[in-house]
Amino acid sequence: MSNIRLTARQKTSSRFFGAVGAIIWKDLAAELRSRELLSAMLVFALLVTLIFNFALDLDPGTRRVATPGILWATFAFAGTLGLNRSMAVEKDRGCLDGLLLAPVDRSAIYFGKTISNLAFMLIVEVVVLPVYSVLYNMNLFNTGLIVVILLGSIGYIAVGTLLSSMAVQTRTRDVLLPILLFPVVIPILIAAVKASSGFLQGLALTEVMPYINLLIVYDLIFIAAAYMVFDYVVEE
Amino acid sequence: MLNEVVSKNYMIAGYVVILSVLALYLASLIIRWHNLKRELQTIKEFQKKAPQ
Amino acid sequence: MHLLEKKMKPQPISLKMLNVVSVLLFLAALGMVFLYAPLEVTMNYVQKIFYFHIATGWVGMLGFLAAAAAGVLYLVKHDQKWDIIELAAVEISLVFFFITIVAGSIWARPTWGAYWTWEPRLTTAAILEMVYIAYLLLRQGIDDSDRRARFSAVYTLIGAISVPITFMSIRLFRTIHPVVIGTNSSATTGSFDMTSKMLVTMFFALFTFSVIFVNLFWHRIRLGQLAEQVEELKLEELQ
Repeated sequence: MSNIRLTARQKTSSRFFGAVGAIIWKDLAAELRSRELLSAMLVFALLVTLIFNFALDLDPGTRRVATPGILWATFAFAGTLGLNRSMAVEKDRGCLDGLLLAPVDRSAIYFGKTISNLAFMLIVEVVVLPVYSVLYNMNLFNTGLIVVILLGSIGYIAVGTLLSSMAVQTRTRDVLLPILLFPVVIPILIAAVKASSGFLQGLALTEVMPYINLLIVYDLIFIAAAYMVFDYVVEE
Repeated sequence: MLNEVVSKNYMIAGYVVILSVLALYLASLIIRWHNLKRELQTIKEFQKKAPQ
Repeated sequence: MHLLEKKMKPQPISLKMLNVVSVLLFLAALGMVFLYAPLEVTMNYVQKIFYFHIATGWVGMLGFLAAAAAGVLYLVKHDQKWDIIELAAVEISLVFFFITIVAGSIWARPTWGAYWTWEPRLTTAAILEMVYIAYLLLRQGIDDSDRRARFSAVYTLIGAISVPITFMSIRLFRTIHPVVIGTNSSATTGSFDMTSKMLVTMFFALFTFSVIFVNLFWHRIRLGQLAEQVEELKLEELQ
């Protein structure tokens, strides 16, 4: 009988994970019904790919070299779109205030939003890769590339969620997020593009590892930093 | 060795920039200070006219 | 004491003295650069830009660190004065780094043949400027002073962590793919042999700009305090 009773600590942590799960579930379920966010991000990503096709009219050889850069530029722009919408919806519908009233650690909100934002960004990337492969007759189904995309997206969204929580509370809102985000996310872009390029060209793992390490270090540092600082961003 | 005249011109250009930027910043500090003082003055006068 | 009666103190004597000292040091530094330091062998006159270029760069870094520290202190102590200090540090550091970048470009043109190269320090300085500008735009978009201070402090922290990482990333990027610049003389790496007179001039310039920084910093903080006073009064009026 007594093993049903949870310690206070276990209750708090189960509440925490419960809250995180609830937020993720809320976002995914809402998106499943309306599909506003994903369709916007997907269409935007495909349009950007199209624009790059005409903006950089490249021969196949050069295109091979430029592919990682084009992909990451596309992901960065589409990611911004998703972050903006995700937070704006939260604020406008008053969900943010509701969440803040809940007796749960603020960081649960951060992790919940980050994971759902990450899910959306990954879905977009999962669609863009095959489309790009088909359009340019390249094989992008490379394990290394997928790992890089995962690590890069994690870092991007970790910082992006924090900054979009701030941006949404300002007057300038949507416009401000890219201005705040891009200068700070440059290490990810450098490392991700170089690592992607390395994997696509089939370089030795030792040559690519420094960049992978950079991505991992960045991710860890910024998830920790964002977690510590998120309270200050949502307190009233 | 770099051509002396060219080198001198670039050096002058460099120092003109350095001095101008510093001067401009100083000017902006002064201008902002005066503007704020004037605002303070306006508020004071407003307060005198309509004491709450 | 009512806000209106709280007068902005006139410049304390020490500040007035500092003003004078700064000006004198600046003139002395100029004197050293043009009269004392010898002419460099390969680059000739244009090398003289380097003294102030390096000085503003190093001191700009001081400002960067001061801003980050002030940010942390604000979040910990919630005292508005740290916000004023942080903004002052960012603004002056922005100006100093701007001087560094532009003076560096002017030096680079005759030396390397290009105004800009994507080398780590220069690129990082440019990205830092972008972070600063983003910081100022962030502040502009928030009316509530408490929220503005909080968000600014958070962004300062994020920027302070990311800029060093950015520098290391670009360096990693460049060691594997070195930048191809025209010639390969020592001038291209930006180094030249410094005689002792040059070193003395360099350190004197460094000292001068540190003093100038502190001087401007003090003035900017006073400006911030006055602005805070005016803002509080305006809010009072609206009630």
